Amino acid sequence: MAKFPSEEWMNEFVNILKSSETYREAAKDWEGDITFIVTPESSGERSYAMWFDLYHGECRDAKFFDDVSKVPKSAFSYSGPLKNWISLIEGKIDPIRGLMTGKFKLGGPMMKIMRYTKAAKELVNTAAKVKTEF
Amino acid sequence: MWYFRSPQIIFGEDSLDFLESLDMEKVVIVTDKVLAKLGLPSLVKEHISDAIFHTIDEIPEEPSFSDIDSHSRLPESFNPDTIIAIGGGSVIDSAKILYFKIMRPDLDYYSLTPLEPLNIKGKMRFIAIPTTVGTGSECSWAAVVSDREHHRKLELASPEIIPDYSILDPRMVGDLPDRLLKSTVTDALTHAIEGATSSWRNPFSEALAMEAVSLITHNVKLALTDRKNLEARSMLQISASMGGLSFSNSQIGLAHALGHAFGSLFRKPHGFSVGLFLEPVIDFNSDSVANIYEKLNLSFSGEFRKETLKESIASLLKFLDAPAVIYDFGITREEFISRREELIEKSLESTGIIGNPRDVGRSDIEKIIEKIGR
Ligand SMILES: [Fe+2]
Repeated sequence: MAKFPSEEWMNEFVNILKSSETYREAAKDWEGDITFIVTPESSGERSYAMWFDLYHGECRDAKFFDDVSKVPKSAFSYSGPLKNWISLIEGKIDPIRGLMTGKFKLGGPMMKIMRYTKAAKELVNTAAKVKTEF
Repeated sequence: MWYFRSPQIIFGEDSLDFLESLDMEKVVIVTDKVLAKLGLPSLVKEHISDAIFHTIDEIPEEPSFSDIDSHSRLPESFNPDTIIAIGGGSVIDSAKILYFKIMRPDLDYYSLTPLEPLNIKGKMRFIAIPTTVGTGSECSWAAVVSDREHHRKLELASPEIIPDYSILDPRMVGDLPDRLLKSTVTDALTHAIEGATSSWRNPFSEALAMEAVSLITHNVKLALTDRKNLEARSMLQISASMGGLSFSNSQIGLAHALGHAFGSLFRKPHGFSVGLFLEPVIDFNSDSVANIYEKLNLSFSGEFRKETLKESIASLLKFLDAPAVIYDFGITREEFISRREELIEKSLESTGIIGNPRDVGRSDIEKIIEKIGR
């Protein structure tokens, strides 16, 4: 069990992603890093970020930040408050519907993401596969 | 949390009269040459008095961005209060994109996603008047555009491009040729099946799909044999809008993913292209959504209903002369094999893949394609 968000959780996520044949296939042409951001729900709360360097279906590197201002600028970002991340990990929010209902925000060129919806969904779905404690 | 979105729908005999209740001064009409020749835009205009029109009647079948783009710059000082689409799916989808482009010339087409607000709703009235009985575009917030260069169909969508009003006047489909009626009914049927079963299905999408199937199967024969029967055609129009509402508030599935790729690679009509894949896709999904398939089957009229949904669909598609294998489209095995790889790649990029109730991988698509190309 890994606590969310944490470096341990991120590493577990990367392990599951690496063993996912579905992700590798869907993202085989994908190039671009993505950052998962946990935004603060009220002022004074901390924000967290997990940065993933994704290339042709592989995750080449990952870094955890407990200060969002230190995250390198990435091609894409997927961000939302902790309570929505919890629902997503519990499988209660579909990652794309989460964007369409405003529970999550996506940063980056839309044109690219729309061609890789399956890869994007698989990526975020992997979060639901990590054994998580909150 | 999810939404149910719909235009205000005006349906049945004389529903074009509704236009007389709206104040319109400057109106953009979007249509195509064939319909213009048939006089359908004129029939609509008769219900609008004292307005100045700017008519765009050059929308081709399966339009591309460049086909649409040339029309997005309106004559100077022509600030329309209303845009009216009169046509089938290609025309209505083009009108959706023009509506977006007229309101937001600063944005490019790829900004047309449901993930970002466009802030255009309510600034110009958008009316859709369908002249076919299948696309459901008059009720949906999706628009499909051909990207000829890359041989793919782009599935654009935003809740802000849904028409404000959708007018289903049976006179608009009174002269619809049989072949087009059959192809568009096939599309409506596929919308219902996929809308009811997609991974985003919900009670609204299911209920509308069931009634769409019932209306289609109870009226299609009558509409084809008794051409003067406007009541039957009216029911088909309504079933098409219900199918549109069903998938638009849920998702398309694998038959549309494959049908979009197939239609754009081989330049075949949309309805029959998606219909081609309907039976193998039902086979593929049957364990995941068995209970919904059973309910859908019960919605079939006695005339077409068989033991299983797949068999019922087969009997209906046969009646509609819908192609069941590539050869029915006049495509040879060699032609098909030469584009097979592209067909698989393009299908995998479709949003229908993520909407499908059962997870789809490359090998699944290969198996399905084998069934229609053997
Ligand atoms: Fe369709």
